[in-house]
Amino acid sequence: MSTKAIETSDLTRRYGYRVALRKVSIEFSKGGIQGLFGANGAGKTTLMRVISTLLRPHGGTITVMGFDPQDEPEEVKKLLGLVGDKPLLYDELTGIENLRFYSKLYGLQSDFFETQVEELSQRFAIKTWLEEPVKNLSTGLKKRLDIVRSLIHNPELLLLDEPFSGLDKDTTEDFQEYLNEFRNIRTTIVTTHNLAFGAQLCDEFVTLRKGVVVSQGPISEFDQTL
Amino acid sequence: MTSGFSAAFAIAKKDIIIQFRKKFEAFAMFLFALIAVIAFSFALVSGGSIPADVGSAMLWVIIFFMGMFGFAPIFLSESETGTLRGLATAPIPAWAVYAGKVIYGFVLMGMVVIFLVPIISVLFGFSFLTNLALTIAVLIVGILDLAAVGSMASALTMPSEAKATVFPLVYFPTATSGLILLIEITKSIVLGDLFIGIGIMGPEQTVMLLFEILLAHLIAMLTLSASVFHFALSP
Repeated sequence: MSTKAIETSDLTRRYGYRVALRKVSIEFSKGGIQGLFGANGAGKTTLMRVISTLLRPHGGTITVMGFDPQDEPEEVKKLLGLVGDKPLLYDELTGIENLRFYSKLYGLQSDFFETQVEELSQRFAIKTWLEEPVKNLSTGLKKRLDIVRSLIHNPELLLLDEPFSGLDKDTTEDFQEYLNEFRNIRTTIVTTHNLAFGAQLCDEFVTLRKGVVVSQGPISEFDQTL
Repeated sequence: MTSGFSAAFAIAKKDIIIQFRKKFEAFAMFLFALIAVIAFSFALVSGGSIPADVGSAMLWVIIFFMGMFGFAPIFLSESETGTLRGLATAPIPAWAVYAGKVIYGFVLMGMVVIFLVPIISVLFGFSFLTNLALTIAVLIVGILDLAAVGSMASALTMPSEAKATVFPLVYFPTATSGLILLIEITKSIVLGDLFIGIGIMGPEQTVMLLFEILLAHLIAMLTLSASVFHFALSP
């Protein structure tokens, strides 16, 4: 069994003629919080989408938690939770209806689901908002609900694409505390263009620029000036 | 992990609940169908009814175009709001997402057709009671066929910037073969004893053959679409 959460070799992905990822070779260890750094348009979101099986690579290889996302997509999907730039929630449904819908897709037992909802909704302070249609929630509340959605099946690999945008200071701190609590038993990959923040949070890093890896390694080797 | 079928039903149920709360697509479909039926009945009814061959075509042309209101946005809203990523990253087979949308499209169109057929029957002067079982079977298979084609066309046109233009270009040619069969079978129902069959085949043989080809068309569309649908979810 691989000790790496993510391994890519010469990974390439294009949008038409534009190359978004060019021969990207990276490694992220299992466990801990790993950072994917880079400016806007560096290729962070594209890499996250390839990892999460949303995009197919046009070249190279990738394994996620030891599985090939092309050959065994359902094995990868079982293990991952995803928080993207937009909440993956249905506006017309209430918070609890959204969570219940996703729990059905993940095949969760009802008692496990109830326990998770109870624990996570208290943790992220959305318990009183669960019966409200999502369209009535503020951006911050939607983000919190989306975080709960991503954690409802207790994923082994959590992919967070700019997760702290739209969150107030208290929720950001709560979320960081939550991530730290599970640091040893879950792998979390965070993309951010806020390098100082990333350096403070992460154990390992990869920096991308225009789809190319410019540096990677343990966070102690991270140089913000690059 | 949940099975593909229960995931498909969960997706369909979710879409139906959202539709009941938004009401937009169902209302637009019903309104279009009602206006078209009234307009055709004014233009074409003479002596209390429309000629069977014209009327059968009108019925399915109305349902066919009505489907455009329902099917075109079937993946569009999920794609624009980003929720499609939630479905695409759930541990369910890709075909379950497609099947869920087909079931939703079938229920959505079915609801409108239940109201539409009696209105057509009265305004066009048709009787579907001569062969009620065949009428129900044709409506079920026909709507399912259009839902299967429409859902795939909607998924295929998702990445396009000109979705409104591209959707009919995909939907029309793929649905037309099924549409011709539906019109012929409906004509046989409306004509009743006056239907003489096609070529050397008798009326019953003709209807059975047409219905079998329609079923084959539906099965081919469902199988083909479901087997390639993962390319639409993970381009």
